[in-house]
Amino acid sequence: MMLRRTFVHAATAAAVVAPLALAALPAAAQQTTLRVFIGGQQRPDVMRPLMDLFQQQNPGVRVEIEVGGATSEAQQQYLTTVLTSRDPAIDVMLIDVIRPAQFAAAGWAEPLDPFLGGTPRATLLRRYLPGYADAVVVDNKLVSLPAFADAMFLYYRTDLLAKYNLQPPKTWEETVAHAKRILAGENNPNLQGLNFQGAPIEGTNCTFLIPFWQLGGNLVGANNRVTVNNDAGRGAFQFWLDAMRVHRVSPPNSAEVRTDDTRLQFQNGNVAMAVLWSYGWNLFQSEQSQVRGRVGVVPLPTFQGRQSATCIGGWQWAVSSFSRNKPQAAALVQFLAGGVGSKHLAINASNLPVLPELYRDPDVLRANPWFEQALPVVITARSRPVTPRYPEVSEIIRTNVNGVIAGTKTPQAALTEMESRLQRVMR
Amino acid sequence: MANTAPKPVRRSLGDLSEGTLGTLMLLPTAFLLCLIVVYPVGRLVYISLFDWRMNLPNAVPQFIGFEHYIYALTDDPKFWEAVYNTVLITVITVPGALVVGLGLALLANLPFKHRWPTRLALLLPWALPLVFAGLIFRWFFNYDYGLVNDILARFGIGKVLWGTEPNLAFATICLVIIWKSSSFMAMILLAGLQTIPRNLYEAARVDGATPWQCFWKITLPMLMPSIVVALVFRTITAIQTFDIPYAMTGGGPGGTTETLAMYIHKTTIDFLDFGYGSALAMLMFLVSLVATVVYLRIIQGDKE
Repeated sequence: MMLRRTFVHAATAAAVVAPLALAALPAAAQQTTLRVFIGGQQRPDVMRPLMDLFQQQNPGVRVEIEVGGATSEAQQQYLTTVLTSRDPAIDVMLIDVIRPAQFAAAGWAEPLDPFLGGTPRATLLRRYLPGYADAVVVDNKLVSLPAFADAMFLYYRTDLLAKYNLQPPKTWEETVAHAKRILAGENNPNLQGLNFQGAPIEGTNCTFLIPFWQLGGNLVGANNRVTVNNDAGRGAFQFWLDAMRVHRVSPPNSAEVRTDDTRLQFQNGNVAMAVLWSYGWNLFQSEQSQVRGRVGVVPLPTFQGRQSATCIGGWQWAVSSFSRNKPQAAALVQFLAGGVGSKHLAINASNLPVLPELYRDPDVLRANPWFEQALPVVITARSRPVTPRYPEVSEIIRTNVNGVIAGTKTPQAALTEMESRLQRVMR
Repeated sequence: MANTAPKPVRRSLGDLSEGTLGTLMLLPTAFLLCLIVVYPVGRLVYISLFDWRMNLPNAVPQFIGFEHYIYALTDDPKFWEAVYNTVLITVITVPGALVVGLGLALLANLPFKHRWPTRLALLLPWALPLVFAGLIFRWFFNYDYGLVNDILARFGIGKVLWGTEPNLAFATICLVIIWKSSSFMAMILLAGLQTIPRNLYEAARVDGATPWQCFWKITLPMLMPSIVVALVFRTITAIQTFDIPYAMTGGGPGGTTETLAMYIHKTTIDFLDFGYGSALAMLMFLVSLVATVVYLRIIQGDKE
């Protein structure tokens, strides 16, 4: 009896003291370390100063950056391993715009609604570009916050176009004609007319979807019905095949070209025009670039008489469901997704802002004059299919597109396989 | 009568029969084997009977029996393409590595004054991690910047599409696997070569045998046990080929270099479809098992 009473006393004392002690600790020496996961392609060098700024504003918090794979798939693979094993090591992660549905379904991203400090979600999201605000809400939960926007653009060499009195192309027909003209005039075997990505990687999905959409295609229709085996699908494949084999403006090894290969080739002065995401700009203007000051960017061309379309890209900040420091992590995410973060990334990494007012910001426009034309593109860019099984959808499209570009599959065989396998996943 | 009852016997370990003692001493090993072999394989079989997706952790896994196996065998073209690629890689690279490895082993066994450079050259490819080997050769065969195309260009031959033309991509992968695995073959065969008594060759030479006859009549038969061991190991790793094609082509162009192990990895790690991935892994396990049994039969046939 005596023993039990002592125990109860001790327990009560502990229960009273413990919260006090915890409350007192942060003010004293308690340091929270937040671990942020980003990919090698997302410029850790540019992210670091942002984290330093957050540390200055929040003395109790230290932010570490963990750098992972350089492609969206490599990053996803690593995160998948961490998150399926419920590892608390990572607090904040940067995820591709195509992932929120999967992260929500799997319960990997902590819903941010309870951490908004009384601000209604709608008010918060009203600040962002509409497409990006929609993308972060899944099943009425705020899964993540937009980090930066992205879309595919056409980069061109201003010096080469000027040399042959050419205007930046508005249609693919013009693009091919320009490329042929430049290649004929330059007579340089190392120069490529039009570079695009055809390797089995995520970006290759956009290589197919862009001309497919422009020709009136719509991958997933009502009732999740997949329609790809049609004229738009055949036309999309034929365009790239003709660019390589008939017009000979795209390199014959396009099936091996990954996103950063395009960037490197263009940066080394070997490409007249290239289809690429926005991150290239900043690197093309860097010290190491061979084409510094000779680069232009325009919205992607479309086919004669067709609507323009491009692939929506971009990344989002999410808090891991397994983080042990969710309030601090949520605060960091809100800071990074706010005006300061978005502007810093726009100026230093040429990441397209998610906040519309930054497209008129003089500092941003000084670093990226072409952002003025980019806003309408980003607003109208289209999403890749939204599904929790996106990795499978992506694999089906990219493997088949890669096969067609390499010539191992006919467009018809690829379209038939894509339609039947996609239907199985999307049902 | 009661006091004639035998005293309760207190046995010490020393009194155990040899059989019981043997069983007792095997127990730790048996336990360990259960833990690291029997349990995981059993678990694999169990999971393969469910529709089990780690990307939907809240969904209850549904028992579906052999549905995954039926789908793989009858309805999944990707599975058969991967099996075809794996079998082709095995059929090409195992004999390839054997021939090259045998050559290297014979070379290293020659009575040179300085044998260490040959032996070092033997060890190096083996010591290199597989993924690094794949990445290095990916650069060798790069279309624009690769060493191979550069050398070809110096001889006036145009750039070759090593990574785009499926047969070339497949051939380069086989070449790298043979390069990488022949050193392992060579090391096992070298050990075998060193056990062959010298006096056999001397006797043969006295009888007027040519070096060629010595090789066919002495070296090869005496080396047979080592060759079979090397083949067993090499075949099983060939069936599991993953790293080199993964690093070199990522399965491309269009899935023509995707092996079964890569397809399992994709299904399990990328798609988080653990149920189907487990069924595919079971099928690969069965293939490895069949190959091993065939080799074991050959060895036993030899002994009789």
